[in-house]
Amino acid sequence: MPYNIAMVSDFFFPQSGGIESHIYQLSSKLIDRGHKVIIITHAYKGRTGVRYLTNGLKIYHVPFFVIYRETTFPTVFSFFPIFRNIVIREQIEIVHGHASLSSFCGEAILHARTMGLRTVFTDHSLFGFADAASILTNKLLKFTLSDVDHAICVSHTCKENTVLRASLDPLMVSVIPNAVVAENFRPLSNDSRAADQGAMSPVDQRPQPAPIGPDDTITIVVISRLFYNKGTDLLIAAIPRILALNPNTRFIIAGSGPKAIDLEQMLERNVLQDKVEMLGSVRHEEVRDVMVRGHIYLHPSLTEAFGTVIVEAASCGLYVVCTRVGGIPEVLPQHMTTFAKPEEDDLVVATSKAIAALRSNKVRTDRFHDQVKMMYSWRDVAERTERVYKGITGDISPEEFYGSYPGQGWEVSGDRVRSFALIDRLKRYYGCGVWAGKLFCFCVVIDFLIYVFLEMWFPRANIDIARSWPRKPPADKSHSSNGGRRDQ
Amino acid sequence: MISPTSPTSPVPPPVPVDTHPNRASDTNPPGPDRIPDPDRLAPEDAYFAHSLSRVRSVPLNYEDGLRSLRAADSGVATLLPPRSNLNDVTRKDVRKIGPAGSRRRRKGVWKKLLWVKQSYPDNYTDTETFLDHLQRNPRVRPYDFWPLVADSTVIVQHVCSVVIFICCFVGIVQDRVSPVSIVCWGSVGTAIGWILWDNWIWEEQTELARNLVGVKGGDDESSSSSVTSAPHPSGHDPQSTGLKADTIHGLGLSMSPSAHHKEDVSHLTSDEPGAFYGIADPASHSAASFLSPSTRVPHADVPVIERASLFSSRNRQRLSTVKSAFLIYFSLLGLSPILKSLTKSTASDSIWALSCWLLIMNIFSFDYGSGEGAGDTTKFPASLSTNAAVMASTVLASRLPSTTHVFSLMLFSMEVFGLFPIFRRQLRQKSWTGHVLLTLALVMIAGGAVGTTLGGGWGSAVIGSFLGSLLTAFAMGGCSWWLISLQKYKNVVIGPWDPARPIIRRHWN
Repeated sequence: MPYNIAMVSDFFFPQSGGIESHIYQLSSKLIDRGHKVIIITHAYKGRTGVRYLTNGLKIYHVPFFVIYRETTFPTVFSFFPIFRNIVIREQIEIVHGHASLSSFCGEAILHARTMGLRTVFTDHSLFGFADAASILTNKLLKFTLSDVDHAICVSHTCKENTVLRASLDPLMVSVIPNAVVAENFRPLSNDSRAADQGAMSPVDQRPQPAPIGPDDTITIVVISRLFYNKGTDLLIAAIPRILALNPNTRFIIAGSGPKAIDLEQMLERNVLQDKVEMLGSVRHEEVRDVMVRGHIYLHPSLTEAFGTVIVEAASCGLYVVCTRVGGIPEVLPQHMTTFAKPEEDDLVVATSKAIAALRSNKVRTDRFHDQVKMMYSWRDVAERTERVYKGITGDISPEEFYGSYPGQGWEVSGDRVRSFALIDRLKRYYGCGVWAGKLFCFCVVIDFLIYVFLEMWFPRANIDIARSWPRKPPADKSHSSNGGRRDQ
Repeated sequence: MISPTSPTSPVPPPVPVDTHPNRASDTNPPGPDRIPDPDRLAPEDAYFAHSLSRVRSVPLNYEDGLRSLRAADSGVATLLPPRSNLNDVTRKDVRKIGPAGSRRRRKGVWKKLLWVKQSYPDNYTDTETFLDHLQRNPRVRPYDFWPLVADSTVIVQHVCSVVIFICCFVGIVQDRVSPVSIVCWGSVGTAIGWILWDNWIWEEQTELARNLVGVKGGDDESSSSSVTSAPHPSGHDPQSTGLKADTIHGLGLSMSPSAHHKEDVSHLTSDEPGAFYGIADPASHSAASFLSPSTRVPHADVPVIERASLFSSRNRQRLSTVKSAFLIYFSLLGLSPILKSLTKSTASDSIWALSCWLLIMNIFSFDYGSGEGAGDTTKFPASLSTNAAVMASTVLASRLPSTTHVFSLMLFSMEVFGLFPIFRRQLRQKSWTGHVLLTLALVMIAGGAVGTTLGGGWGSAVIGSFLGSLLTAFAMGGCSWWLISLQKYKNVVIGPWDPARPIIRRHWN
């Protein structure tokens, strides 16, 4: 049955990034499956009010004070009146928040629970437990997630992290990976025929592409923001050694950031300007054009929840060399990747191995695109997210949704189906900590009082119901090619 | 349980086998092409029975879980060896892995992978792999009581010197103590401390030089043992000129970088001098760089010259110390009238509050480290601490009535906050008894000073020093015990979600 879903996050277009495109792709695929989806975000510069994107995806840009990197100021309550208005107007049943650093998302989940709606939270990033910033963020996340109906993480490592940070029941956390729009990341050789070939095309009948000779130039592509946590220091240390060890090798580096100056200094000190091409920052739609110029994608990141970019690179037919951190080892199969430790020496060794493997033509990179296309698609993500929605709304029974694993120690709690009774909610919040628990309960009580006040002052009857975008019939099963909407 | 965990499996399998039917029958050995684990979670680390974490109750009360683990006395908990049953997946072509591939059993082996379509629900939690890379308190180092108390003496010393300074200031303000007498006593103490310190440095250097000379003397002896009287090159011997040249050359070599080393060894006829050169060379080289540049000139009779040059370099250093002391002295003298009227327009209350905060800042940001492994990381807080103290004494001095008062207090604060810590650090390295005695003396003086300030007279001083010592002893013991008892709340969680620390070899060429 179709649901009315509100995606809430601070991060959405016009800003571009992984979370933004995740929300957009997921929403549009859910609409394809017959649901009604709206997105609530804060007002960006030059982007205010209500907007419609393709396919009737409705965006509410709520005016709000932005403090840092498009994150709004956490006010806990001030978002409630307009949120309630939007929710009633759009007849929302499920509120789905994204990104743990977004205060919009946390507040929306709190208010939604007060209003008696089901909530889902998607975590896109990893956090440690050590530094002060993490401790604060983790407390806030605990506040957000104490009462959430279900959480979604993008990788198993991310799930472990979220379960620990928010003290969640692991069965209330699903792992649904990100995906890529494989059509947008086609390798060069695939350009012409990919459109008319089905997913199950007999790849073996394809002629083997021209093999790489021992003297041909191998191009290594790096596309990342040049920050410390993206491993730019490793990259800076490794590039001269990789180039010295492997003649006929070139680098293409796209991206900008505070470490760009270090990278340029390294190039000048080692006089590598003719071997390393720096492109600066590239737009997301140009990423594919940069990727297809290379043979190897190098990803030296130090922490990564999922690493969409390595999937994109593999989809472009690049052999991937990446560090074994975070959720990266789960993302791609062995034959597409070479893993390295986050150490300079090991990165050099792994890259040299990858170059040798490519030179000996052992790696069938021409098959990567079709394989990736089978592994990851937004359609699949939307289906799996829909199952989560069904589970929390009770359309599939809790036994089926949470499963019963007798004897494993998980089945003790009966609290998975979260009741809306205020006392039950307060109980959940009270367990968050000695002081934090009381503070959280205080916030919840105030939130509830505000809700009662709003119900009296601005009664529901006075709020107009928005007309829904005319629905298409739900996408049928025969519609096989992923993201086929774009090709029509 | 899978086979490779057997080295660490006194652990009973926590999960009924029928849930994971293929685990037990997994015959694949851990091939080299399986996905190994991140390096920092290598299996060489200690393991612990993961059953505890597996059986814990579902709401996953995190603290409780940790406590139960800690109660089981595990430094590192719940770390399993890497999964081994992945290579059957990786060998497979992707096309086979779909619904068809995993339908060989309804419930195949759950894999911690995202790219495989699995027959498990998305919220399936695998009890064996879930959180298996979690490490708790991996680098915890338990404290012992007495070493902790011993280490706390450093803090006590500094706090006591601050207390003494404050009491001196109060005495000056209340006209009970003459500022000149304070600064005189302080200067005498500083002078004694400097002489001691200078002696230690001198001893250290002569020790080093003696070692060096000993090696070199042996060198000379051995090289001359083949021929006669090398130390007195009088030219009688037919070979003596050549030998003398050799010796000089050798010494020149020992002072210069070892570029000509081989060449010189090849000049020598016998083997053992060459061997000696080989030994002596690095030591002498380091000594040469350590000593003043004048010793780099080759001389025939080295030990005497070296000692003399060492002496002269020492003297030169002393001279420069005295010079800088005079510089500080006179600049303080010149600055005193300005400092006196610096905060005329500010109320005294603000001054007390400000200086209070500054002194607290001084105490909290003081560099209590031993100064051995202290790299450039501790430089900043140390300078912050000294600056705070100097500023505190400056604003305090501006409350004083005359230039002499101001000058005395400023000089005293320089001695207490600038020079005394250097002496204390050196003393601690030099002699532990001296360190303990100094601590005792400081505690008693500080207690006495507080007693005098509050009560007045000798009796209160004695009572104050007694109470102060008692209180300090209790505080040291109590804080140490408290810190040790707090250790059980230590809970560092490390896992694959932490940003990796990149290991980079710095090689700027």
